Amino acid sequence: MSTIVIGLSMGLLLFLLAAGLTLIFGMLRVINFAHGSLYMLGAYCAYQIVQTTGSFWLGLLVAPFLAAAIGALMERVALRPVYARDHVYQLLLTFGFILVIDEAVRLFWGLEYKQIAPPDLFSEPVAILGSQVPTYRLFIIGFGALIAAGLFFMLERSRYGMVIRAASGDPEMVQTLGISVSRIRTFVFAFGSGLAALGGVVAAPLLPIELGMGFSVIIDCFIVVVIGGLGNIRGAVLGALLIGMTRALGYTYAPSWVEFLTFVLLIATLVLRPEGLFSRKGRAA
Amino acid sequence: MSKLQPYSVALALIVTAIALSPLVLSGGNALNLVNLILIWSIFAIGYDLVFGVAGMLSFGHAAFFGVGAYVLTLLTTRLGWDFLPALGAAGLAGGVLALLFSFFAMRVAGLFFALLTLALAQLIYILAGSKLRDLTGGVDGLSGVPRPDLFGIDFFSDANYYYFLLAMFVLAIAIAGLLRVSPFGQALKAIKGNELRAEQIGFNVQRLRKSIFFVSGIYAGMSGALLASLIFYVSPQMLHWTTSGDVVIMVLLGGMGTLFGPVLGVALFEVLREWLSTVTSHWYGILGLIFIVCTIFMPNGLAGIVQQIWQRFSREDRR
Repeated sequence: MSTIVIGLSMGLLLFLLAAGLTLIFGMLRVINFAHGSLYMLGAYCAYQIVQTTGSFWLGLLVAPFLAAAIGALMERVALRPVYARDHVYQLLLTFGFILVIDEAVRLFWGLEYKQIAPPDLFSEPVAILGSQVPTYRLFIIGFGALIAAGLFFMLERSRYGMVIRAASGDPEMVQTLGISVSRIRTFVFAFGSGLAALGGVVAAPLLPIELGMGFSVIIDCFIVVVIGGLGNIRGAVLGALLIGMTRALGYTYAPSWVEFLTFVLLIATLVLRPEGLFSRKGRAA
Repeated sequence: MSKLQPYSVALALIVTAIALSPLVLSGGNALNLVNLILIWSIFAIGYDLVFGVAGMLSFGHAAFFGVGAYVLTLLTTRLGWDFLPALGAAGLAGGVLALLFSFFAMRVAGLFFALLTLALAQLIYILAGSKLRDLTGGVDGLSGVPRPDLFGIDFFSDANYYYFLLAMFVLAIAIAGLLRVSPFGQALKAIKGNELRAEQIGFNVQRLRKSIFFVSGIYAGMSGALLASLIFYVSPQMLHWTTSGDVVIMVLLGGMGTLFGPVLGVALFEVLREWLSTVTSHWYGILGLIFIVCTIFMPNGLAGIVQQIWQRFSREDRR
């Protein structure tokens, strides 16, 4: 039972990140290498806010907006001038931001590990079907599912989602209809960055907060995105859950091989179905 | 292609000046810097064959670089091979690994290729630090990497080793230059220009790409081996993703798609590292900022600037 809970919580955590990555890719055709750095920034912000105010929930509220502001700045200042060029340049720019954000984090918080406790509400484990399960992990599952449902609703049912889907499909037409596509791009990039930081805050009580956390998570995210099928939210959910469950089962049955299991999945996907296991042509969600 | 482009002569002059500077410069630090520039230049020239010529963005070259270093070290220290055959084996190992990478990573197109090379290189990095610890010495790395033993020359002196590296550098640049103008290089440029068209003309796009990735892996493996032998040491740091990032930055700063641009980029990178790291411990972040600004405002790098200046002068001549 606890394996399932751990797997689901890891999966939904990964989903928060992969969803941001996927949204940005779907709209801007940019793969944001700095996504992991924004996740790390979210975790450090959570640490700082918990240190100063003592409230985890304030961190959960504030950190995503901070990351969204940074994301908007990145898009506005660096990416917008190079949209006309080959996509490679946008990728390279986001790579440059990894170096800058990581250095900024080192500058402010130094090299030591940081740690925060889960909020008081979720500090006690609870017994489910005879095994002890940390309530904080249950919170992650619920929270992640809520965000996933919200994203689906927003993209598929709301007017904003419709505009975003339209703008990613045919930007010129949307522009002609009087909607500012460049503003949508900035918004989507900021939103995706916010999701990354949200993932960072949620992950902060589970992991040591350290400089390498951004990079290790971005590799997992890339694997999720490739397995899930290159740029749709549904694929991101399923890919993330698959990786999460694989990891959880790995920790239980073959701890020394955990790191490799995800790569085995990745390589198997590439060999069998390189377009992704859950890909659907031309869908955003 | 028959006409020699004047600006490339200018670039060649600059590069030659960098390469020959130890003849006039004295002092161990400057010499060490030049040796580093020569080694990283081989890496960068090989990287640009993939990035600048064939138009594939790889973030996995650290794997070939590091594996080359480990292969040389293990063959010489554990199996007692001579330096030169071990260097050849290091190159081959880098090339074969690159081929293996390309087999998987080329199953997806475009930008996702970059993600997969990064992920696969990370797999090698994790392997070297965990499962292969007996072989690689784990995070401590391996020391006692030898230098070549030829003609009775003492290559353990940096000043003498410089000549060996210079020879390797000249060889690397000559081969890359020939590859660029060869039908193979031209076919790759055609693929970069328009993949679909190249395929319709009848080029086997995947095979050509895999071939150049293999060659690039050889360059990376050999330069990694040379770096290990310069610093007498190899560690997983050489396999780390920042190594891949460094070579991307170097090539872009110098000018992708040109023969001498990567060398200029390496020189700029190494001089910046030397200078900034004495000023601040946060030099890598500053490098990131420089990289971002350069990517936005000078996508053709230093070589592009040299070219522009040259064109301006030659236009004035005509008036």
